[in-house]
Amino acid sequence: MPDATPVTTNPRVTSSVPAASPFLIAESLRIGLMRDGAELRIVDAADFTLDAGASLGIVGESGSGKTMLCRSFIGTLPRYGVRVLGGRLTIGGRDVTGATEDDWRAIRGKVIGYVPQSSLAGLNPVLTVETQLLEALQIGQAMDKTAARAEARRLLDLVRIPRVDAVLQERSHQLSGGMKQRVMIAAAIALRPPLLVLDEPTTALDVTVQYEILTLLRQLREDLRMGMILISHDLAVVEFLCQRVMTMYAGATVELGQADAIRARPRHPYTLALLHSRLGMAERGQDLVAIPGEMPVVGAWPEGCRFGPRCAHAVDACRSGPQPLPRFVDTHLTACIRAEEVT
Amino acid sequence: MAGTTAGVRVDGDLIAIDGLHVTYRTRGDDVLAVQGFDLRLRAGASTGIVGESGSGKSTVAKAIVGLVAPSQGSIRIDGDLVAGTDASGNRATGYVRANRWKVQMIFQDPYGSLDPRQQPLDAVAEAVHQWQPGSRGAARTEALGLLKSVGISERQATSGLRALSGGQRQRVSIARALAPRPQVLVADEPTSSLDQSAQAAILNLLRRIQAERGLAIVFISHDLALVRYLTDTVMVMKDGFVVESGSTDRVFSTPDHDYTKRLIASVLA
Repeated sequence: MPDATPVTTNPRVTSSVPAASPFLIAESLRIGLMRDGAELRIVDAADFTLDAGASLGIVGESGSGKTMLCRSFIGTLPRYGVRVLGGRLTIGGRDVTGATEDDWRAIRGKVIGYVPQSSLAGLNPVLTVETQLLEALQIGQAMDKTAARAEARRLLDLVRIPRVDAVLQERSHQLSGGMKQRVMIAAAIALRPPLLVLDEPTTALDVTVQYEILTLLRQLREDLRMGMILISHDLAVVEFLCQRVMTMYAGATVELGQADAIRARPRHPYTLALLHSRLGMAERGQDLVAIPGEMPVVGAWPEGCRFGPRCAHAVDACRSGPQPLPRFVDTHLTACIRAEEVT
Repeated sequence: MAGTTAGVRVDGDLIAIDGLHVTYRTRGDDVLAVQGFDLRLRAGASTGIVGESGSGKSTVAKAIVGLVAPSQGSIRIDGDLVAGTDASGNRATGYVRANRWKVQMIFQDPYGSLDPRQQPLDAVAEAVHQWQPGSRGAARTEALGLLKSVGISERQATSGLRALSGGQRQRVSIARALAPRPQVLVADEPTSSLDQSAQAAILNLLRRIQAERGLAIVFISHDLALVRYLTDTVMVMKDGFVVESGSTDRVFSTPDHDYTKRLIASVLA
């Protein structure tokens, strides 16, 4: 459940959303930087909600803006030279759009746990697993060392690490990739956040370890009734873990809905192309379906639908005007003016 | 031929590996990374080596291209004994210029395997000039052709590496690997750092190159779907041993070993 204590000391951070509202609300959220007096957007008009305990997978190619969007949920955008340019972000019933670093310190770990990209390199190589878990546990809460040690053991049990006593005294070079990821997950959920955000958590792992980690995450989500946002370029990974899927392209949300509905009938050509490019979709000897061209870089988004230049369904009307806004077609939202014809 | 210690040519086999063992020494301990690995691969054929981290698959790849030395066994490339000691006691003197060009490798990380200060064109032209007689100007012309054949335009070839995506960088790596006109490509997780669409484009490219050039390809991967799609035969490795091998269709449809069954069961639908 959302933390009952205020997460902000900033008078600009207001609590205007009732507690019964979705746990996370992004309203026309724009992320980027100012250049020559104009907005250079990386994420454009992200609009979605996430209920407490619900799960959302965000898919898209490299450069689609999915990682920056998730960094806005933990307030680390300034570390990358970018910020929220506009719109509103509400987490746990509190508007955090203008939250300060002090505010975010009270949110990170407690309200939102985060497992970053390249998290296999995220452990400090000179500290033991126990020291790092104790640090995670003692951030923002008073806990004596004995209690914290017991909690660290419990956390490793929770993420199904064998030989807990030995592993607590080991350093990252002594752990396999799968074990490191389990420790990172343990640290991220140490303070029992109601929402866990994971950025490509299994990309560097073997197929068997990936399966074990995803199974663990699914179990944790159910046991702890924890919400989850998962970033991946692999639709199969997202479908395994998440009830809803959001497809991003060039900073824009192009499709959003229930995972099974989108898989059964994607209504945006980009999601369709991502599905078709999966290895499992091709027979041996056949060419795989690659999406032609490359994702446009930030600042060089084309007129009209940003996917238009790579889209097999594009017509003249797709190549002018603004990026189409998502609209409901059948079961879910899609930002394609020809959605009814996409098959 | 220079580099042929025994002078024995195995007809048709571009790669012939017999009883390969590789041992790593760490602080006095011997770690047996590969134990008793055999492989035969002909021109135009492809084999996949699958297994989890630590299974020894990447060590096999490194041994094939001469980056690690066998502790036992032998590796022949196109009949030349390039590594180890064969059954008759002939010792290889290692890769020499006469056979080095025949085997090239594509690495996993296109961000780490290219010099970030070098233009793609220079990276490929340098490899062409190294292996083919002719002027630097001719090498640049050939390099441009190679880059174009893998889908890199002249503008991209002469721009900074930073302007290229991961998929485009891997194309540059492939063009560079093709520069010596090799007979064998060893691809170690060539698409694992790429997203789905870029992966599809690179795999299509590798299939096309293989068909056009009659290359033998060894794919190292933990991605069973990739191996199933691309290779004729597959070898499943665990703890340094090959626990199952055979035609890719057979291994995937009726796996014998429990570990193979576990790998296949882990593939997400």
